[in-house]
Amino acid sequence: MTSSPPSLGASVSVSPGVRIKRMLLGGGPLVVLLLLLIFFTFASDTFANPGNISVLLTQLSILLVLGVGLTFVILLGSIDLSAEGVMASSSLVFVLLATNDRNDFQFGILAALAGVLTGSLFGLVNGILHVRLGIPSFMVTLGMGAVGIGIATVLFGGRAPQLLDQGLRSLGVDKVFGVSKLVFLAALVLVIAVLIQRYTRVGRYGYVIGGDEPIARLSGINIKKYKIYSFVLSGTGSGLAGVMAATQLGVGDPTIGLGFLFPAITAVVLGGTLLIGGRGGVLRTLVGAAIITVLANGLILIGVSIYIQTAVQGLVIVIAVVASGWSLRRRVRVIK
Amino acid sequence: MTQTLLTSSPRVIEQIDWKGRAVSILPLAVLVVLVLIVTSQQPNFVGIASVRGLLESMAPILLLALGQMFVILTGGIDLSFAVTASFGTVLLALWIPELGALGVLAMLATTTLIGLINGFVIAKAQIPSFIATLGALGLYSGLGLAISGASTIRISTGYEAIGWITDLRVAQLPLSALLVIVVAIVISVAMRVLASGKSFHAIGLAEKALLMSGGSTVRIRILAFTLCGLFSGLAGVMLAASQRSGGPTLADSLQLPAIAAVVIGGTAITGGVGGAIKTLIGALIIVMLRVGLSAVGVDPSFEQIVYGVVIIAAVVLTIDRSRIGVVK
Repeated sequence: MTSSPPSLGASVSVSPGVRIKRMLLGGGPLVVLLLLLIFFTFASDTFANPGNISVLLTQLSILLVLGVGLTFVILLGSIDLSAEGVMASSSLVFVLLATNDRNDFQFGILAALAGVLTGSLFGLVNGILHVRLGIPSFMVTLGMGAVGIGIATVLFGGRAPQLLDQGLRSLGVDKVFGVSKLVFLAALVLVIAVLIQRYTRVGRYGYVIGGDEPIARLSGINIKKYKIYSFVLSGTGSGLAGVMAATQLGVGDPTIGLGFLFPAITAVVLGGTLLIGGRGGVLRTLVGAAIITVLANGLILIGVSIYIQTAVQGLVIVIAVVASGWSLRRRVRVIK
Repeated sequence: MTQTLLTSSPRVIEQIDWKGRAVSILPLAVLVVLVLIVTSQQPNFVGIASVRGLLESMAPILLLALGQMFVILTGGIDLSFAVTASFGTVLLALWIPELGALGVLAMLATTTLIGLINGFVIAKAQIPSFIATLGALGLYSGLGLAISGASTIRISTGYEAIGWITDLRVAQLPLSALLVIVVAIVISVAMRVLASGKSFHAIGLAEKALLMSGGSTVRIRILAFTLCGLFSGLAGVMLAASQRSGGPTLADSLQLPAIAAVVIGGTAITGGVGGAIKTLIGALIIVMLRVGLSAVGVDPSFEQIVYGVVIIAAVVLTIDRSRIGVVK
């Protein structure tokens, strides 16, 4: 009420909240990334080595795929907390259907596809439960995340199945032009995601729904359908991330996704996609994921505990959402 | 406050009453069925040893659930509560050798402060509680792992300060677990008797009406999160006592069971409906479920699936769709 709506652009008096928000949404994240790159290049002897850059890109790839999928859901103002469980299930479905030391299946690339589709299926169920039954998304995905871990635990049966398909294993291990094949896969995913976001209804309506759902409904958009599609995209991303992690580690494991969800959400938020929805995009998530990866890698090189990073990521999420919603704070409204 | 709200729209009362009746009978029925199934499979289940085991595993879940209940009643959620309890056990293990009982109080003060900060940020900055507490989850799990070096810390010197929690028994039953049940009953009575006892429900039921009529929800909302922090700390003390150690992920696995206990008991995730006795029944169902599953021969690895499905099913049954416009 005291400050003008951010969409009006140039206002005379700019409150600090709006300024921080513009910084977050504009070129801010990219500047942060560049500063971090420069800082670590000087702070650590090994940071800018070709070997470490290759490691950086590999670390970035899985996080990016996960974050890109999540972006579609966060754009709606919803959240998907099921990533860790979905990655667990998809990694086990994939490894158990590919050549492995547990059974005689040898479906090769079809197994990888089945792993990814496991993720899509989780996304579909998340979306349907959320939209059709009207359960808040964090609750649905929290529950489905547990179901995912549970299914993985059942499939796991006490001993990690090894992935023996050499072709698929090479995807996670072998390098082309000095970087892991996973990096090219992640780049391909990013391109597809950008195309979906720019040129399909799911992508474009996502902004409208996230920006103002009642208005989207009044203008005749089939909100339920596109919300479900967004959740399917997120689940597919998690599913692929699970398959990628499995090719890298060579096993299917219920804990394969542990520790991925948090950096992924932070990457989306750091990139400048608003947790309240309506603004952002997958390219921003690339920048956010790069910041997280560079920070994680660089801080380890200069000897900072990785656990402190989780703590900082948590703080970043809170600060980002407080900053982006600061100008709306004075209105009489109900926020749960 | 609630009186005026309710009399202004009699139609709403009828709906809630009907729903309230349905959801308050269902959990109790489920509990009875579970007990019957388990006793039919294992006739010695009603023995003192298994009841003791049941109470011991229920106590920390119930404490966490009671704290979470206050937040859920207001229509919010605290996703950081289990991590706060874990963080608390680490602090306890570090402080108790030097400070003794004072260390316990300092730890409880810290977790209460964590809850207070959560509530303050959520109420003052007006941001969705699940996002703020998701951030808090990362913050305190990271801090807990960092200060403990990601390892379990054994409590030996000064264990007397919390040892009584597991050692003291009344009629061979753990006193601490019985105390927790008493706490649940006291909360329930207080909410019925005290004039401001229904404040949490009022925010959950009709926050907009409350705001439009000039009331403030900030104080009660902060109080809800503060209580959640306090109860997380109490759960941490209990866990640390039974494990004789503090661990950075000690209570993390209780997050889902504790949320499940709240919603299964019949407290609606949309807020406004529920109470401490319902949460007690919910916590009993959760621990019985674990015993019941193994009694009917279900592999323990299915446990997570059951929790996930049960949580979603319970939310579906208790959610009040008439009071939520846009579901995010």
